[in-house]
Amino acid sequence: MYKVAVSGINAVDNPGPGVGIAKGLKESSLNVSVYGLAYDAMEPGIYMKWLFEKSFVMPYPSAGEEPFIDRLLYIKSNYGLDAVIPALDAELPLFIKSSSLLESYGVKTFLPTEEQFKLRGKDHLPEIAERIEVKVPETRIVTSYEELSKAVEELGFPVMIKGIFYKAYKAFNISQATSYFNSIVAEWGYPVIVQQVVTGEEMNVVGVGDGEGGHFGLVGIKKLWITSLGKIWTGVTVRNEELLSATERFVSEFKWRGAFEFECIVNNKDIYLIEVNPRFPAWVYFATGVGVNLPDRLLKAALGLEPERDWDYPAGRLYVRFTDDFVTDMSEFQRVVTRGEN
Amino acid sequence: MKEAYEKPVILKLKTGMMNKFGSSPAYIRKVRKEIDGIPVEKLVEKFGSPLFVFSEKKLRQKFREVKNAFTLRYPNVEFSWSYKTNYLDAICAVLHQEGETAEVVSEFEYEKARRLGVPGNQIIYNGPYKPYDSLVTAVKEGARINIDHFEEIADLEKVADELGVKPRVGIRLNMDTGIHPQWSRFGFNLESGQALDAVKRIASGGKLELVGLHCHIGTFILDPHAYEVEVKKMVDFAYTVEDQFGFKIEYLDIGGGFPSKNRLKGIYLPPEVAVPSVDEFAERVCSALLSSLRPGDYPKLILESGRAIVDEAGYLITTVHAAKRLPSGLKAYVLDAGVNILFTAFWYKFNIEIDREVYGTSEPCVLYGPLCMNIDVVDDLTYLPPLPRGTRLILSPVGAYNVTQWMQFIRYRPAVVLIGENGEVDLIREAEDLTDIVRREKLPERLKLEW
Amino acid sequence: MGNKLSRIALNDEGFIFDPETGNSYTVNRTGLFILRLLKEGKSEKEIVKSLTETFNVDEREAERDLIDFVEQLRLYGLLEGKNV
Repeated sequence: MYKVAVSGINAVDNPGPGVGIAKGLKESSLNVSVYGLAYDAMEPGIYMKWLFEKSFVMPYPSAGEEPFIDRLLYIKSNYGLDAVIPALDAELPLFIKSSSLLESYGVKTFLPTEEQFKLRGKDHLPEIAERIEVKVPETRIVTSYEELSKAVEELGFPVMIKGIFYKAYKAFNISQATSYFNSIVAEWGYPVIVQQVVTGEEMNVVGVGDGEGGHFGLVGIKKLWITSLGKIWTGVTVRNEELLSATERFVSEFKWRGAFEFECIVNNKDIYLIEVNPRFPAWVYFATGVGVNLPDRLLKAALGLEPERDWDYPAGRLYVRFTDDFVTDMSEFQRVVTRGEN
Repeated sequence: MKEAYEKPVILKLKTGMMNKFGSSPAYIRKVRKEIDGIPVEKLVEKFGSPLFVFSEKKLRQKFREVKNAFTLRYPNVEFSWSYKTNYLDAICAVLHQEGETAEVVSEFEYEKARRLGVPGNQIIYNGPYKPYDSLVTAVKEGARINIDHFEEIADLEKVADELGVKPRVGIRLNMDTGIHPQWSRFGFNLESGQALDAVKRIASGGKLELVGLHCHIGTFILDPHAYEVEVKKMVDFAYTVEDQFGFKIEYLDIGGGFPSKNRLKGIYLPPEVAVPSVDEFAERVCSALLSSLRPGDYPKLILESGRAIVDEAGYLITTVHAAKRLPSGLKAYVLDAGVNILFTAFWYKFNIEIDREVYGTSEPCVLYGPLCMNIDVVDDLTYLPPLPRGTRLILSPVGAYNVTQWMQFIRYRPAVVLIGENGEVDLIREAEDLTDIVRREKLPERLKLEW
Repeated sequence: MGNKLSRIALNDEGFIFDPETGNSYTVNRTGLFILRLLKEGKSEKEIVKSLTETFNVDEREAERDLIDFVEQLRLYGLLEGKNV
């Protein structure tokens, strides 16, 4: 029995990947028991006992490395813990930095390196694109109104106004551009990315790199329907050779290690790179559902077992998200609040 | 036998706030009863509260850490103490003993360094405003001057004529290193060609000898890569200058800006994760130097590191004067130290330690200073157990900028002590009293009060 | 005595649920101790006495803390008006 902790169990309107990962692990050929790591007593995953045998409230990563590691070791010593699959951007740097420490306590991870993690900043996209021979929408990095207006003049409307890690808005005129610029600065600070709008099909690839240039499977999809928050609600698998081979170049060029999501816009032969996420996306169960159980393969890699590498998934499989609900007792909530675990 | 008491606490549960650990969990609540072996209570008894406490041991240790990181990787390095970060005599003296020269940015700092006994030729004079008389003194005394603008080139040429010497000078550059916002207001811009124009102007004047380049890319820089870019651009420019104008660039002053393990507001991750080690910075800088310099050429690398050296050596002891309950239900404490002496509270969230074990649930609270002003907030949200009046809090790191940017507003500035390596406690700045503040005041005869 | 207090559910772990508003709270041990006495209709004076008899605390501190705690209960709407 392997005990694996998964974070990002906030299955809300902007869902974390945790529930998808847990569903994948439940279908593993290994005997796996999944724990949830939460940051708030209201995270729905805590109450989904059919997926998470136990859940633990974690100290925020911002509280420091020591309490965070102590909490994991508390779980390890009281309930057993063989591996962790972290799924939130905010906690990844801490896990990456502490991975060898955790390993020394017998808690395994399979994560990107610090250098790889940094590539998620949109200011690094041109560098990635150049090395793997794909395109990037023309991009300007701005820190003032003056630079903003210069950038939109050069790029022409419409433009995308983006934060370096989060948020993206399409602006059709300078007043919209300015207001998006302001809201990004207020929330995320400088710099702000101004990007040319490129047309084409929005496609994503999820995968797990082996850290040596190969991978344990890729699955390419196209989002058919997204929510107002930009989250996938319906999708379909695609086999676009340009896209998949660009992704393979990415994995081999950067010797990517661990989970990733590769977001692109595909226009015939042209691949425009939009974003690289150093973790599983929230829709990762899609891969499991088409026979490429990436959470399971990542777990095997973390445990030092040899994961499968086949990824011959069919195009045209449909992904459907739906809402669901259930009723439980207030005492469940009470235990999370008073004991920090349930 | 009575049970141990903890103050009663009730917390309302709110979505998004239901993390029983908060951001300062109860079980890592930090108790600090002493600093470098000296009990906090003893320090306060003797010197009062609030009290700034510096650790000489930590100061020397941090300096040596930075020094080793660079000197192990490059053969010709000079460290120049950034006076504006902390110009208390005792602090500067420790660092001068360790071998640092002085980096000053005003005539006041220049005079303070000279008064302490630093020879003129061990001073680097920077900054956008250098009064003419101070340039005359600096040139006479052989200080290294890094020029900020074209007017200063003209000023220095005048000094050269007046003194009949050819001053050896540097120019300050600003450039794009990928750091935002770019500090473009100081020095001459590299990319626009302004820096080259400055060199041309110096060459055509014929009265100054250009021997150095200076740059300072920003403050609390978390990306070591930016220094690599800075160094490469400086080396490229140095060779352009040497090849085209026949000057020999003897030093590359890359400034400072290295971060301390302080928690900058707006940076989510804790400093032990977000702040790269000094070795990472040193590795980037030195390997960029060695890979771009010509064989056999080892210009002096000058570092003006301030915060990274002194910040963590400084603590502030402050006392809880009162506890309040705000209408929002939030707990508030009134401390005897506020933003008047903790200027950096505007940008940093300090590490808070308590001088004794306090039992009880941590509750959200806000820490106010003693000023009768709304902006006087030391920490707008932290989690502490219910603190009795008289509890001492130890805030850190506060060694950088606070004892230079503090202001005398409403209250006297407190004493500063230095704990020596053998546990000796020296008063290095007395607490102020009324005489310090009224010494310069003059009351016209006709306004004398007769009460 | 505020009838609100008689309705709330208090458990030994210090979890409080107000069935009327749906709000939840947590209290520490001393808070729980005081709440139970308040539910029993004890006066401020009696509560201070119980506190000093049970815990290692002097009368002045206990009184000060009780005022603060009751103030908080009122802010949260768990006590109505001046109950003690």
